[in-house]
Amino acid sequence: MLRTKKWRFAILAILPTLAIFAYVRMFPIWETLRLSLHRWDILSRDKPFIGLENFQELFQDQLFLNALVNTTIIAFGVLFVTIPTALVISALIYHRTRSRFAGFYETSVFIPHIVSLVPAAMAWKWIFDANLGPLNAVLEFFGIPGQAWLFDPVLSVICIIILCSWQALGYAVLIYIVGFKNLPISLFEAAKLDGASGIQRFLFVSVPMLRPITLYVSVVTLISAFNVYAQAFVLASDAQGAPGRLVRVLVLDMLENAFRNYRVGYAASEAVILLLIVLVLTLIQFGLLREKWNR
Amino acid sequence: MGRQSKTSLTFGTALLVSTAIGGGTALAETITVWSGFPEMVPFYEHVAASMADDHPDLEVNVEAIALREHERRIALGLTGGGQGTLVVELAGSTAQRYIENDLLPAAPDDVAAFVTGDGNFSDFFIDTASDGGTVYGVPLFRGQGALFYNTDMFEAAGLTDPPATMADYTDYAEALTQRDADGNPIVSGWSLRLSGGGQGIAEKFWINLFQFGGSVLEQTDDGMWQAGYANEAGRNALNQYLVSLYTLNTVTPEMPADAEAFEREQTAMFIRESWVIGDIAARSPDLNYATAPLPVGSIALPVNLYVSEGDETDAAWAFAMAANDPDNLVWLLENVGWLPNRINVDYSSVTTAIPAFSAFVDNPEGFEFFTLPAIGPIEEVLTRLAAQLEAAFADESLADDSEAIDAFLAAAAEETNRILEREGLLAQ
Amino acid sequence: MTDASQNHGVDSAPGIGMTAKARMTNLVIDIVLFLFGILMVLPLILLVANAFKTPEEMVAWPPTIIPADPTIENFSSVLGDTPLLRWIWTSLRFAFMSMVAIVITSSIVGYVLAKFKFRTLEVIFILILATAIVPFEVYMIPLYFEAQALGILNSIWGLLLGYLVMSFGIFLIRQNVKHSIPDELLEAARIDGAGEMWIFARIVLPLLRGPLGALAVLAFFQAWTAFAWPIIVTTSRQSYTVEVGLALFQTGFTVDLGRLSAAAACVLIPSVTIFVILRRNFVQGIASTGVKE
Repeated sequence: MLRTKKWRFAILAILPTLAIFAYVRMFPIWETLRLSLHRWDILSRDKPFIGLENFQELFQDQLFLNALVNTTIIAFGVLFVTIPTALVISALIYHRTRSRFAGFYETSVFIPHIVSLVPAAMAWKWIFDANLGPLNAVLEFFGIPGQAWLFDPVLSVICIIILCSWQALGYAVLIYIVGFKNLPISLFEAAKLDGASGIQRFLFVSVPMLRPITLYVSVVTLISAFNVYAQAFVLASDAQGAPGRLVRVLVLDMLENAFRNYRVGYAASEAVILLLIVLVLTLIQFGLLREKWNR
Repeated sequence: MGRQSKTSLTFGTALLVSTAIGGGTALAETITVWSGFPEMVPFYEHVAASMADDHPDLEVNVEAIALREHERRIALGLTGGGQGTLVVELAGSTAQRYIENDLLPAAPDDVAAFVTGDGNFSDFFIDTASDGGTVYGVPLFRGQGALFYNTDMFEAAGLTDPPATMADYTDYAEALTQRDADGNPIVSGWSLRLSGGGQGIAEKFWINLFQFGGSVLEQTDDGMWQAGYANEAGRNALNQYLVSLYTLNTVTPEMPADAEAFEREQTAMFIRESWVIGDIAARSPDLNYATAPLPVGSIALPVNLYVSEGDETDAAWAFAMAANDPDNLVWLLENVGWLPNRINVDYSSVTTAIPAFSAFVDNPEGFEFFTLPAIGPIEEVLTRLAAQLEAAFADESLADDSEAIDAFLAAAAEETNRILEREGLLAQ
Repeated sequence: MTDASQNHGVDSAPGIGMTAKARMTNLVIDIVLFLFGILMVLPLILLVANAFKTPEEMVAWPPTIIPADPTIENFSSVLGDTPLLRWIWTSLRFAFMSMVAIVITSSIVGYVLAKFKFRTLEVIFILILATAIVPFEVYMIPLYFEAQALGILNSIWGLLLGYLVMSFGIFLIRQNVKHSIPDELLEAARIDGAGEMWIFARIVLPLLRGPLGALAVLAFFQAWTAFAWPIIVTTSRQSYTVEVGLALFQTGFTVDLGRLSAAAACVLIPSVTIFVILRRNFVQGIASTGVKE
């Protein structure tokens, strides 16, 4: 009797949300999968089924492959910049938790994560500007010739990595600080008694102990970096005076195919590839975690 | 507008919902003009003001955003509806897709008669506003390129006449480039479009290519299309970019470019449409410059006004017609600088007062025009070619290496043809 | 976590016991962190500084950090020429409504999934968890066509459609309910004859104040910084969010960096202020995201 009542409440309580969820999540995801097997130009009523043709074409499409490579480089670049920096900075902030500046440290590191992407990207666009930007001014001050940051094929990718890392860092630092706070005291006391220095304790106690957190942060950082779009859009946007080199990334290529080339099915197949990448990354994370549990 | 804000104070959300769902119905006699050229806003507002006497209740919203986003919102907006009645500014080549899918209605009889009759427009412009003999749009203005050059810099370099051949362009660029002590260019001799997203790079390349006798897309006798740049013209056009970048170093990708650089005297010459005249007048009125026709011919990109389905189509068509009123067209030329397409209007008051227009209207004998073909995948062809070109411009090893350039062009042309083939447009 | 458990990793207890060497180390660390913090916010400071520069100073070389001749010309012209305030207002409303929707949906579903043990619910939970990893960008094109079919493009409802629920929010609340609300408490209330609705509203919700506050901040900023969705849903200048308005503002024929910076500064100031005020909530929110795997 009580069970039926509970059951009725549970279902009634979640039903509205579940309906929304089905409408704005499940169904569009399903549609993406379905569209990827079709050919559709947005405008016409005709939507023929073409099997895996879109996917076959994708892997001969230079722009898509270029976007895939760029996005992968950016995602892993962001990872390799963010994780070590975040570890060190969070260790330092944690060490100075009682400092009266602790609030400032945390806030200043985190602010880039919450500011709107577009203003932030604009600020960086100016910093990187070859003719007006402070970055080249600083370089020249030290006698290093200025670089065409936003135009060189390699440097423009690096610019996006810097920009994305700047934004991703705050989140990683915050998670790590939580991690540090949850580490068992006893280990450190033992290490201290053994005469380990601060740096040794960091390297040989904290870092290994924080491995699950590192994994979590890595996957979150990677996944969000695979969705990079606004940064590339703003840095290369078509302002006629000084457009940057367009760093083609997956989401940008996808939106271009859908809304500029009128190929929605094709764009959906790109989305499916993106989904597969994210899926694989997540599975790797779960796999690694399980391995840890089993040990 | 006043009425709306008053109501929204009282009925808040109710109005929000009704405008969201009802679209244009909530506001009577309102039309919206969608433009892809922000500098056209004053013109459309001028046209709206000129209509005030005949249409006292008409309210015209002008919404202009950058071309790329404009085209995207059309793709999304026309299929979506809910925008009220729109006057859409669109290149004839881009409109084709919408006409084929019945998303843009044919013009009413009086409008069609205005477009085709009375010697208002030449056949070229009537064709680009029509499909299969039916008129769909009202021609308005065209993008046409000419050379803009800084006369002070020409004088300083000992040059008197504008360049007459493409070989001249290279020589002039070399003579005009100003360098610092290390030999790095600080003022480019000839500013080229080398970066940025979208199809701009490919369009600009096409203009240069045309001077060498090539064309990105060429039509065959059966009415089909194929890539027309994997040839000598293509090689010459691309090599000129590469030589400018790497051999002579008269320009670099990161240098300020385009109209902005020209106005700030950071480049000596560049090829652009007539709107730059209006832009210079507004931003650097003291600049000493002149214009010259291109060696062989120019792009002529006709832009027409179309009307979407809605409740106020009569007012919208009236707006498209009013835009072609002689007084308004002269105002357009004088204040914005885009070239009106209507021919039986006297523009001499403007063209004599502003000699820079002469290069656009007084074309030398045998001067040729080309336009973007009205085929569905035109944007995709150009966007993909633009991406290829951007990579080529960054590849120093291509400069003066005919074989490598040919290989690059062949690969790019193959991609172009593949798109055409997919859409059933490739010539046999 | 209690205060006592803090600072165990590395000794930093200030005061009498601290050696000169330790104090020295702390000073160095403070300096490093201070410089790093400044470096992190420097781009934003530069952006705000640019907003006050004259067009001449904007193109001067070498670039200046502090405007030599500050002007508010950029602000007045940008506010006059663009509906910037309207964009900010749209963004604020959108972010707020999304926040409310997410807090409501997450709290109910999170609670039910945590405390009601039925096979069906487990399946639903796995389904929600699985979609949590699907990036928004993957399914936003079909979602766009839904918005189109509903006729809500170019409206706040269209924006909202993509931001009504948050898989992660449901997960967050479920974890919190599981760990912080004992079953006995709920059972006791049931034995006293309390209805399920009453239990949820009077017992569960008050106990969830902390995590819900954190979720609210997360949800607000998620919508506030949204870009890919608003840029396809809004096609009229009047309905842009501030992110889209700014991005398109700079794609005209010429870039006016001073005015652009002024517009960007107008956007930065409210969001940074809101964040600084709600920072505590935010940190707690992140802390409770169940990273204790």
